[in-house]
Amino acid sequence: MKIRKMAAPFAVLMSASLVLAACGTSEEPETTETSTAANGEQDDAGTTAKVDLGEVTTKEDTIYYSLGGEEWLGYNGNTPETYSTYNSVVNERLIEGFMYFGTDGTIYQNENFGSFKLLGEDPMTVEYTINDNVTWSDGTPVAYEDYLLEWAAQKIQDGDNQLFNHVGGLDFGDRVPDGPQGEIGGKTFTIEYKDPYPDYQLQVSTAFPAHVVAEQAGMTIDELVAAIQDEDIDALKPAAEFWNEGWLSPTPGQLPDASIIPSNGPYVLTSWEAGQSLTLEANESYWGTPPATSTLVYRFVAPEAQVQALTNGDLNVIEPQATVDTVAQIEALAGSVNLISGDSLTWEHLDFNFREGNEMGENLALREAFAMCVPRQDIVDRLIKPVSPDAEIMNAREVFPFQMRYDEVVSAAYDGRYDTVNLDGAKAKLEEAGVETPFTVRIGYSQPNARRDDEVNLIKESCDQAGFNVENVGSPEFFSETLPNGDYDVALFAWAGSGQIVSGQNIYSTDAPQNYGEFSSDAVDIAWQALGSTLDTAQQLEQTKIIEKELWDQLFGIPLFAHPGITAYDATLSNVRRTATQSTVAWNAEQWVRAE
Amino acid sequence: MTKYILRRLGASFLVLLGGSLLLYVLTINSDDPLKDLRESNADNREYLIQQRTEFMGLDQPWYVRYWDWLTGVSKCVTLNCDLGTNRNGVDVGSLLGNAASSTLRLVVLATVLAIVIGIVVGILTAIRQYSGFDYSVTFLAFLFFSLPVFWVAVLLKEFAGIQFNNWMQEPTFSPVQIIITALVLALILSAVLGGDWKRRAATAGVTLVFVASAMTYFSAVEWFRRPLLGFGFVAIVGIAAAVGSTTLFVGFKNRRVLYSTLATVAAGLVSYFAFRGVIEEPTWPVLIGLFIMSLVVGGLIGWFMGGYSRKPAAALSAFVGGTMALLTAADMAVSHWASFLSLKPRPISTIGSQTPNFSGGFWESLLDVGAQIILPTIVLTLISVASYTRYTRSSMLEVMNQDYIRTARSKGLSERVVIVKHGFRNALIPITTIVAFDFAGLIGGAVITEKVFGWKGMGELFETGLRTVDPNPVMAFFLVTGTAAILMNLLADLAYAALDPRIRR
Repeated sequence: MKIRKMAAPFAVLMSASLVLAACGTSEEPETTETSTAANGEQDDAGTTAKVDLGEVTTKEDTIYYSLGGEEWLGYNGNTPETYSTYNSVVNERLIEGFMYFGTDGTIYQNENFGSFKLLGEDPMTVEYTINDNVTWSDGTPVAYEDYLLEWAAQKIQDGDNQLFNHVGGLDFGDRVPDGPQGEIGGKTFTIEYKDPYPDYQLQVSTAFPAHVVAEQAGMTIDELVAAIQDEDIDALKPAAEFWNEGWLSPTPGQLPDASIIPSNGPYVLTSWEAGQSLTLEANESYWGTPPATSTLVYRFVAPEAQVQALTNGDLNVIEPQATVDTVAQIEALAGSVNLISGDSLTWEHLDFNFREGNEMGENLALREAFAMCVPRQDIVDRLIKPVSPDAEIMNAREVFPFQMRYDEVVSAAYDGRYDTVNLDGAKAKLEEAGVETPFTVRIGYSQPNARRDDEVNLIKESCDQAGFNVENVGSPEFFSETLPNGDYDVALFAWAGSGQIVSGQNIYSTDAPQNYGEFSSDAVDIAWQALGSTLDTAQQLEQTKIIEKELWDQLFGIPLFAHPGITAYDATLSNVRRTATQSTVAWNAEQWVRAE
Repeated sequence: MTKYILRRLGASFLVLLGGSLLLYVLTINSDDPLKDLRESNADNREYLIQQRTEFMGLDQPWYVRYWDWLTGVSKCVTLNCDLGTNRNGVDVGSLLGNAASSTLRLVVLATVLAIVIGIVVGILTAIRQYSGFDYSVTFLAFLFFSLPVFWVAVLLKEFAGIQFNNWMQEPTFSPVQIIITALVLALILSAVLGGDWKRRAATAGVTLVFVASAMTYFSAVEWFRRPLLGFGFVAIVGIAAAVGSTTLFVGFKNRRVLYSTLATVAAGLVSYFAFRGVIEEPTWPVLIGLFIMSLVVGGLIGWFMGGYSRKPAAALSAFVGGTMALLTAADMAVSHWASFLSLKPRPISTIGSQTPNFSGGFWESLLDVGAQIILPTIVLTLISVASYTRYTRSSMLEVMNQDYIRTARSKGLSERVVIVKHGFRNALIPITTIVAFDFAGLIGGAVITEKVFGWKGMGELFETGLRTVDPNPVMAFFLVTGTAAILMNLLADLAYAALDPRIRR
């Protein structure tokens, strides 16, 4: 499970660039009618997990929703080309798996579907059990072979090339060299990891129907399973070909034959009008709690047109860009439309450059001086609160303010010394650093992005008083040139939280691929090693605290805030809940229902 | 002539080729196609970058990528175009097909309306140069021309969409609304019709009373929820069309033409009842067949009754026959408004080209599509009607100052003949060029209008392609618009030569 994040940073960038265009022109919106979901540890539902609605009878009704104008790309959203939030917002209604993300990013087991448990740590073995009644909409049970195929797609190579065009690459195959162990048609299988892997909960969740692949490739299930187990490339070629091509929809508007796109989720795909809409109808042979509403229509609507469409009832649930204007527009509709604002799992930060020869990276006092003059509260108050009134400064990197462990981690790692601007302290530190003032600091970020323009202006206003000379080196080539070449002192950008436990290792360890500033700390490296090799959650938390503390003390960078997000929906609907994750508001779409 | 056309086509082809090379290089260098992935912190980011690089050929030099595209396109010669795929693997050929069809649907109606309204208003303002009407139209033309499209579109969605739908729940007028509307319309109409103050006052008075009483009536019976045109309306408009067109083009005194058009109206009224059962639940072929039939019947009536002026009689009767057919269809559509409302309580959507999974019959679906197209059409029409009005006005004014117009007047021709035959026809010549250009430009789509109203058209194809630094959709767009521009340009030149005897050599 590689987290549906690819499109998200882009969307975030896009939205961020629009967000701030509006800032300062609009008055501070009122907060009436605004509940804040992701900002507490839980929303009105009282939990971050899905709630049990009890007995549900499907209501004959249609709910229209949209998250953007991007066309649906196909049933197989696991190829690098089709992997996007806009695709999964539909596909996740069709294929269920062992886990899902709660509204704050917590991982929950989907108990209706099945369960998994860690059997042993050495070797690390996980046992998966699919519930007996779980079937595809064509009646075939969901079973071991589906997961075997999912593994094979990330394992089998044809020479140097991956046989299946799976977005996950060969990671899963490398971690689990022998694949899922079980029987054809069996509901239980085990997976043995080569090395302990803390993010195992994300690794196995959904799988495509193997019986369809076998049939399309002209094989029996037995032959397919045998071919996978023997890694018989030639026998698997037709299957791979279907997997790579047969589930894509390169011609918009032409839905594949219903027999090759079965669903094991609450809905099935029934029609598609190119560029207009995609219709999902309740899956009549669904094994679980029936969906609350019989028809969902996903309409392809660009964000700028969504609010008016919501007003007019053309859409019932939207997640538009979180701009001050949008918030004001939606609040004007109070009564007929509900607005939920909150955080998302994307966070903005300033990172220092530790490359050879960069004075900022070599001189801790200099970094501290800079951290003291960055007006973090001001940035949040002026740029984020107008959209999300409960926003706060983010003081950690691996946990978000709305997550449960946040307070614990922050109190262990950070004493609040950079919460308010301290110009005198900054001046003293600058003196201590022994540099000539004004000291020039180049802040780089990706343009165009109005919000970041504003952030840099606020920083400049404050830090120039302390003896810095902040130079704005933001450019459209930031990610392709400035960052890789190291032509900056401070980088301003955002990471999308992935829900993974060890993804930060790629950012903070020595020589890691996403460690753009070439930061290096033995203590941090050791803590990541320890974190990555243990499955004990208490131990993981301890290591996280160590890492956070080291990163604060050595000032890897300065976290700023979690990006705000908004969800708006027709007030007659119930059970619409915002989530901070990239599953989007549609994460519990099967529970949406219109009140009588 | 053939040599000239071939030479033009050859040169155009080279221009297109050069243009495509330029655009391709510009597009792929416009931004970073991996931008979204670079900020990603997914642990398989490198893999994703590598996959996209391979898929889009980003590691190839520009000439290789361009050559790949060109070889795909060159298969068009054998009608086997390969326009490649976009970066998500979607076939650009089918994207182009969908985009072109929705753009055409959107712009053709708007263009036709803009041309007709623009030319008529342009002629009228030219005839009434420097009148109050002329000034008002000039003012409005400049106003519309300079309106920002996205702003108009959003306002229209708010007032003609959302507010209209709210009003539709209980479509009544308050006395204040009635009085204001009547006053405004009275003012406009008296300004348009002109004359001395007595005549103006009379026009205003009659309009005032008529509008006020009509609105009161419509409001009282909630006509807008259950509208009906009815036989009387069809008959009156039909007769007005017959008399009006006859008066305008051949003169009221030409009784043969007048009788033949009126006879066509009579035939139309008979078929209004005769075909009622057929068009209750028709199909498109049936409707189109009936329309053609009414044109033919009208033409035949004119032909046999026209006598010495059988040609204009046939043409005008065919026109009247077509009008009758459209009126009958409109009457049928309007009578389905009530059942349409029961299926779709908020008739005008702000997005999309049709309601998803709409379940109504033929007329309800037609109303649905019509209700969806009406707002974008208004936006596009408003903006292009302004320029047509101005062009026509200046062209007409220029013609009316020519010597041959003075000659025509001095030999005693009636003002109608002078304007319609000698003035209007010649004024249209420069307009042809503009119309041809405009059609070519329209294929390119209306980027902003499409975006605001949620239509996936050519503009959207281009914009998305450019935003994602994806050359194939951009090039497909270029191919169509570039070819259209070149062909239309050529056509305009040929038409100009054919229409204007001074150029034909």
